Amino acid sequence: MLLRSGLIAVWLVWASTGMAQERIPVVTTTSDLRSLVEAVGGDRVAATSLVPANFDAEDYQEKPQDVVRVKSARMVVRVGLDYDLWFDRVLAQAARPEIQRGGAGYVDASYAIAVLEVRGLNVGPGDGHAHGSGNPHYWLDPKNAEIITGNILETLARLDPPNSALYEANRVAFLARLGDKLNEWESKLARVRAVPMVAYHNSWPYFARRFRLEFVGFIEVKPGVPPAPSHLARIIATMKARGVRIVIREPHEPERDVAFVAARAGASVVILGTSVGALLRANDYISMFDANVEALASAAATR
Amino acid sequence: MTEAFWFLWPAFLVAVCLVGIHVYFGIQILRRGVIFVDLALAQIAALGATVAFMLGHSVQSAATYGYSLVFTLFAALLLAFTRQWATRLPQEALIGVIYVVAAAAAILLIDRAPQGAEHLKQVLTGNILTSGVKDLAFIVPLYTGVGLVHWLLGRRLSDAGTFVWEFIFYASFGVVVTSSVAIAGVLLVFSFLIMPAAIGVLYATTFSRQLSVGWIAGTVASAAGLVASYFFDLPTGAAMVCAFGFALALAGIAYPFVHGDRRRALSGALLALRWGGSLVLAASALQLMAAPRADQPLLDVAEFAVPSLRNLYFSKAEAVTFADARDYAERYRIEAERLNESEIRNRSQGEALDDYMVRRISSFLKSYGEMRKGEQFVMNEVRARARERVRWIAGPALLVLVLLSAPLSWRQLRWRLPKIR
Repeated sequence: MLLRSGLIAVWLVWASTGMAQERIPVVTTTSDLRSLVEAVGGDRVAATSLVPANFDAEDYQEKPQDVVRVKSARMVVRVGLDYDLWFDRVLAQAARPEIQRGGAGYVDASYAIAVLEVRGLNVGPGDGHAHGSGNPHYWLDPKNAEIITGNILETLARLDPPNSALYEANRVAFLARLGDKLNEWESKLARVRAVPMVAYHNSWPYFARRFRLEFVGFIEVKPGVPPAPSHLARIIATMKARGVRIVIREPHEPERDVAFVAARAGASVVILGTSVGALLRANDYISMFDANVEALASAAATR
Repeated sequence: MTEAFWFLWPAFLVAVCLVGIHVYFGIQILRRGVIFVDLALAQIAALGATVAFMLGHSVQSAATYGYSLVFTLFAALLLAFTRQWATRLPQEALIGVIYVVAAAAAILLIDRAPQGAEHLKQVLTGNILTSGVKDLAFIVPLYTGVGLVHWLLGRRLSDAGTFVWEFIFYASFGVVVTSSVAIAGVLLVFSFLIMPAAIGVLYATTFSRQLSVGWIAGTVASAAGLVASYFFDLPTGAAMVCAFGFALALAGIAYPFVHGDRRRALSGALLALRWGGSLVLAASALQLMAAPRADQPLLDVAEFAVPSLRNLYFSKAEAVTFADARDYAERYRIEAERLNESEIRNRSQGEALDDYMVRRISSFLKSYGEMRKGEQFVMNEVRARARERVRWIAGPALLVLVLLSAPLSWRQLRWRLPKIR
């Protein structure tokens, strides 16, 4: 009798911890969104991202395991704005209505973002993007994390109402920490404000807008097409005329073309990451900005 | 002009060096009939570099080059072996297999490595424009060495011979291709290899003359491609490949004029031109009559070149509507650009715009885009209706033009008609 009740007690403890540990499986396309989902969901979510850090998320080839992961997810979060179009194929293969576009567990994180550089199709070539619906690198403005985490919170609270207060508290705490950090970054980058820069790919409009930075040109005119010599000559001439000393490259972008331009114009190359995990110390959303801000500020200081 | 010269001369020197060694190998390869061997060797070298990369060596380290070299030598060994089977199995089949398997294996490997894809891209798609004196310092001694070995060994390498000579041939070729692909990319190296050599083989019989013709053709085509890429704002590698293709096409067209009866060649060319022109005209006439709303490539090209051609078949009202829509579309484009520019300027200058203003701007941009699309729809619709209206006049008129221009003789037609009856 004693043994029996003891066993029941053990079972109850085991079952209740088991239930507590049954976390909501979430799949995101990029590591940045995963980090933001974790910031809101805390230990109530088990988030995985599909694109490995340092891969070009616009050019990703999905794998069979990705479909398996999405199939077992209760919530999916994507960048949207035509950035991760391949995710539509994964969703179609997973064939679960609750995480399809418009389903209860589907989050397009770009919802309600103030989008920059919207161009109808074929309006003005030459900004390095083929996106008709605007520049998709909006998560690089830390202020936009408010909107993104808002979208995530709404869906999480809908899927798991008992814990909605917890999610809300998590989000508020995260945004408070981010707000402090934003002040720190802004003061660190104050020095960079007067420094014109060039980037390989036009990934930085939101970042530039938030920190008041100036980009005078981009090396890559169209994604996947090597730049023409006259374009490079123009960029180098602009860089010389404007005294550009910093060229920004992401880790996955071609080293040689960037080094060539930088050497011709007497500038130095700074490597920044646009996703969590792209740089060594950037293992969550906030430390990604820490690493980028640090790299930029020290490059501007040593020039 | 001088600016272009300063920008292009390093790439041109590199191209001359690459042409120098690749035309030589190209003639040998045409003789052996193993056209795609360079792709297979380059892909094997890339696989070797990927393995080195996976093991933690940096992209431009000696270890990475060593791995590429060992893999390439292994492939050379395989290729030398396959010569023995050549009676049972075409060697190209095995070359294709090496290429495909090496490419697939590299994809499997890079899937596990961060930055792997970009690394593989760097090994296989060099950009000759951003090459320079540093590359020359590496390839000039290398190519001179390889050239010297081949000159000393002479005929033993150029004639497909025993296993050892075959191995030395493919190994030295692999060393050359590994370095050149990293500089100029797969497409351009293939062009360096095959196209000038083909021109040389076409116009000369002895080896030394083939080589000289190939060198001249390759140098001229490289220069033309580089200059065109600068002045027409084109990606350099692709422009050079097309220049090589154009050179080969020219050489092919000129061949019957140089070798053979010039008068016959001329009349043959004229005949071909007339037939070709008449067929294109006839197809356009039929297309216009059958589907006036579909694309009309010939009419569209003609109107693009000479916009006033539209006045021939537009009514006055149509012409006005068309011009209005075009002006509005252009105006919307300019307005959108101006708005975008001002937002971009505002990121670093002046009072920062708040999110509300940014949203307003993007909604304006969206509207401009939609309105521009609307105007373009109007332009297409006006043109389609005008074409629909005139198709039964313009179509038959074009057909009459075809009958007049086609190289048919009326006497022949008369002769044939009774036979049909």
